[in-house]
Amino acid sequence: MKYEVRISGKTHGVEMERQADGWQAWMEGELGITADVAEIAPNVFSVLLSGRCYEIYVTPASGGQLQLQTGGFEFAAEVADPRSWRGRRHGSAEAEGRQNIAAPMPGKVVRLLVKAGERVEAGQGLLVVEAMKMQNEIRSPKNGTVERVLVAEGQAVNAGEVLCVVS
Amino acid sequence: MFKKILIANRGEIAVRILRACRELGIRSVAVFSEVDRKSLHVRLADEAYAIGPAPSRESYLRIDKLMAVAQRTGCDAVHPGYGFLAENPALPRACGEAGITFVGPSAEAMEALGSKTAGRQLARRVDVPTVPGTNDPTDKPQAQTLAQRLGYPVLLKAVAGGGGKGMRLVYSDAEFESAFRDAASEAMNAFGDERLYLEKYLERPRHIEIQILADAHGRVVSLGERECSVQRRHQKVIEEAPSPIVTPELRRKMSEAAVTLARAGGYLNAGTMEFLVDQNLNFYFLEVNTRLQVEHPVTEQVTGLDLVKLQIAIAAGHRLPFAWETITPRGHAMEVRLYAEDPENSFFPSPGRILSHHVPSGAGIRLDEGVYEGWTVPNDYDPLLSKLIAWGNSREETIARLRRALEEYTITGIRTNAGLFRRILEESEFLRGEIHIRWLGEFLRGPRAASSISLEDHAADSKEAQRAAAIAAAIWQANQRAAQTSSASSDRENGSRWKLEGRREQLDRSP
Repeated sequence: MKYEVRISGKTHGVEMERQADGWQAWMEGELGITADVAEIAPNVFSVLLSGRCYEIYVTPASGGQLQLQTGGFEFAAEVADPRSWRGRRHGSAEAEGRQNIAAPMPGKVVRLLVKAGERVEAGQGLLVVEAMKMQNEIRSPKNGTVERVLVAEGQAVNAGEVLCVVS
Repeated sequence: MFKKILIANRGEIAVRILRACRELGIRSVAVFSEVDRKSLHVRLADEAYAIGPAPSRESYLRIDKLMAVAQRTGCDAVHPGYGFLAENPALPRACGEAGITFVGPSAEAMEALGSKTAGRQLARRVDVPTVPGTNDPTDKPQAQTLAQRLGYPVLLKAVAGGGGKGMRLVYSDAEFESAFRDAASEAMNAFGDERLYLEKYLERPRHIEIQILADAHGRVVSLGERECSVQRRHQKVIEEAPSPIVTPELRRKMSEAAVTLARAGGYLNAGTMEFLVDQNLNFYFLEVNTRLQVEHPVTEQVTGLDLVKLQIAIAAGHRLPFAWETITPRGHAMEVRLYAEDPENSFFPSPGRILSHHVPSGAGIRLDEGVYEGWTVPNDYDPLLSKLIAWGNSREETIARLRRALEEYTITGIRTNAGLFRRILEESEFLRGEIHIRWLGEFLRGPRAASSISLEDHAADSKEAQRAAAIAAAIWQANQRAAQTSSASSDRENGSRWKLEGRREQLDRSP
């Protein structure tokens, strides 16, 4: 079995074979390097990579990504079966074109700092969202114009809810 | 001694207090809001009662509901923890009226010392130095005139404040108006009191505080200092004892100032006098926290004392058992505050369900926490998850232990600021103890922090870890697919009524 794993723009080809109580895995094109893998709890893997010990915590994240944590390191990964790899686009065009500004977490809009039609600069505050007793300013990712403001002061918002649009 | 104590709080501090009660043979009564039914403090207490909806104003801040629970269940004392009502004189007053002991100072001492402006006035009366600024709550025009006279930067602070809420640093006259408005509205939201005061902002000061204990028999002792200079947005993130710069002489002088203030304010029980210390080791009184502090464990680790048990003993009228006025710290201790927040998204709170949690242990490690695997961190309260405390013979050993424990600490399902601490604990200025209250903010804005807060730092280690992680990810995916395939096939099986019927017959036949 073979999967391709993308982490920080690098693709790792991982081949594997199921063993009696775990897996043997190796990196494609790297002879002599094998990994002994045991799942020690749901979503927690002990990986012995050529003898070096790693404990990897796997958490499914949004957009089909996996979040991987190990001894203080943290990676975001995308896994694909190479037969079904469709050359998905990676990363969005950063701060270009029209930007939907979404709430990063559930909270309450306490103040609007801009109005529709207003010119804004990258980094300028658009509105303030309060969550867990902290007021957090949401800033514009680009220079542009506030196209629409979709929320009102005092309104409760969910994570991912679009608050305003900057174009 | 008391028989039963109501703990008017939640989270890790409620757990901390109920553990002390358990050790003293006192029954503990927990309270919980609608979203805290499954919280750890409810699981561990002897008794627990619902006090209302999630918003703290309708539950943890409701003195009437708390007193009703205390009276109904026969509590003879109330411990407020920190935050919520801990510094609200209305709680000790309500306790007094109900004939229940409040574990803390009197309402009068809270008023004399607890409000920042009153505390500063008192300090000036007893010749404890303070930072230049207003003595009183101030309105906007008056504050702005004073700011212009003192010169920018100035600091606006909530009279009722704490923990950086309702606080704004103002660098110029142009920012003044909006800063004042924001600080006042944040103060109103957090404390129900929008009054502000203003003081001159010192360059690169350190935050050093003195822990005191005062019993009802006139003895006031200092347990030495804690340094809490590593702060982000005026919130402490790392605390240690002793401070790397405090000499025995400075400790004695600051302790004397703290004890003088406590006596002048008629203080009782545990309290903390906060000071700013400048580069010439001059110290300026900032405020009194008339309660137990979040960072009390570092003092416990270097003094060997249990502050919560001592608080309870003092409240019960016991004498402090110390024969000396200032205790000398032994070894070193350091605490990091692990919050549910996302360092990659400007430390935005990140509540949610904890999918897995591995807690560090071993020599010199203590973890005070209020969370567990499978629990959902609610979005209604302060997102503090755990306090990780390390101690050792030296600052170096303590930092090495803390680093090791942070590597072991894993929590998934929510984001935490653990990566920030891993980063700070490798920073040479921090290791040399060259810190001040703006150090972390400057560091986070600087180029060194940019790439490394949570992701890859040391290239080689990271590369290797990345390969191991890639392998785990691939195997996770393979497992996932295998599970999907088998559940798909069992769905098909379950779908077959013939088979179901056959199984039922077999079951009927079995004895």
